[in-house]
Amino acid sequence: MKLFQHVDALLRGSYTDPEDLRAGRIPVSARALGRVALVLGVVYGAFMGLYGVLRPENASVSQLVATSVKVPLLFLLTLAVTYPSLYVFSALARSRLRAHDTLRMLLVAVSVNLALLASLGPVTGFFTLSTESYPFMVLLNVVFFGVAGFVGLRFLGGALDSVFSVGPATAEGETSDAADTVAATGAEDADGTKDEPAADAASPAPDETPPPAPAYGGTWRGPRAAPLVTAQTRRDDPAGDASAPARRVFVIWTFIYAVVGAQMGWILRPFIGSPGRAFEWFRERDSHFFEALVDTIARLFS
Amino acid sequence: MSLAGTADALLRAEGRFSVGRGRLPWRGLATLLVLGGFGYGAAMGSWGTRPLQSLYSGVKVPLLLAISSAVCLPNFFVVNSILGLRDDFSAACRGVFAAQATVAVALVALAPVTATLYASSGDYDLAIVGNGAMFLIGTIAGQWTLQRHYRPLVARDPRHRIGRNVWLTLYVFVAIQLAWVLRPFIGASNQPTQFFRDEAWSNAYVVVSKLIWSLLAG
Repeated sequence: MKLFQHVDALLRGSYTDPEDLRAGRIPVSARALGRVALVLGVVYGAFMGLYGVLRPENASVSQLVATSVKVPLLFLLTLAVTYPSLYVFSALARSRLRAHDTLRMLLVAVSVNLALLASLGPVTGFFTLSTESYPFMVLLNVVFFGVAGFVGLRFLGGALDSVFSVGPATAEGETSDAADTVAATGAEDADGTKDEPAADAASPAPDETPPPAPAYGGTWRGPRAAPLVTAQTRRDDPAGDASAPARRVFVIWTFIYAVVGAQMGWILRPFIGSPGRAFEWFRERDSHFFEALVDTIARLFS
Repeated sequence: MSLAGTADALLRAEGRFSVGRGRLPWRGLATLLVLGGFGYGAAMGSWGTRPLQSLYSGVKVPLLLAISSAVCLPNFFVVNSILGLRDDFSAACRGVFAAQATVAVALVALAPVTATLYASSGDYDLAIVGNGAMFLIGTIAGQWTLQRHYRPLVARDPRHRIGRNVWLTLYVFVAIQLAWVLRPFIGASNQPTQFFRDEAWSNAYVVVSKLIWSLLAG
């Protein structure tokens, strides 16, 4: 029940409130987010691995078990591999988020990605039951992973916009105080000393209990509120271009995460289980993800 | 309220079927979906006057509408939540389910047309095209209801447009494959009466893409 409450709060954007992000806070623990990501990954993995149980040749329940383990691993291992570099770029761009909060924000994005994927699980299960075409199942899963990844990235982009936005004062057309912004990020002052952000000291310890859902008619409009706020900021202050660091960090993160994620998926394969091959936990190391994708598309039409 | 009165209220979006966020009239919507779907399915399966095929098709049309919705519902929930539209989810569901029931009601209203078509021609291909047209009209009627429910939602928050489009895309994607699996709905004269075809568990998209590929490749 508590897990579902976390998922609910996550999807409603309670963990990525623009105000919290501007203050450099993510009000949920990394452990809770990790659990959410794990369970959602297992759910989709079970649907994805169903093909291995029902495939025309070499049917194996082990494939279902393996895929249920591998899907959450794919996301969490990719995050583990990329997190240090992602944090470095974030810090270079003077993010308000400290190391732990950066990890939490990335886990929130991964969990949103997995929540969407898990919600597509019944569709994957339905097609698994109704088709024997292995190339089709591969492409369907690639599309679902792509769509879920795209939404996760949009979500992350919105959150980053809030993290790097200059705050409500600029959004209302008032003069922004660059010194305040720098101090709030904990970046170096002109004299080279480093200030601790005030918000960090006031930041509450991450709570295991999800925040209560906002009442109907409240001002919170979900995770997509973050990019809308930034769009407003850009219109009001086009010269300021306050979100330029956010865009830079986002592009770099996306590139690193996508490349590592695609190759991690290649390393952890098979996820679905080719009908012509017996069950195996891992395949031999050869080729790469993108070559295999082109090959699969070609086989679908042949 | 009589069944006709219930259908009338649904089509007019009045009473318990009105646009808004009230309690979802499950029983009324389910009744209309099952009976409407069964009515049209029975007419659709009457090609070649085989009562068993009529019965099978009568069962399959409501199954098609209900299972397609059920498979897509978890994603609809998550998409609405991600878009920050959870507070309106019950209103969105109300629209989606009302649209499904409307499709069934519209289809059963078109059943006499299908019956007339069958009686007037023995061309199986025409029967297929005719039924395709009936489903298209039924879908347009469903869209009418969906639009009616979504109009105030989109006015309040344009992101509802995204939620609706995602629903429609995924629903159509699933429904096409489910229809393929559940075929035959009409029942070709030269084939035995059966609930599923022998090759039911194949993939509509693979079949179509291979067909297109073979046409292009000559």
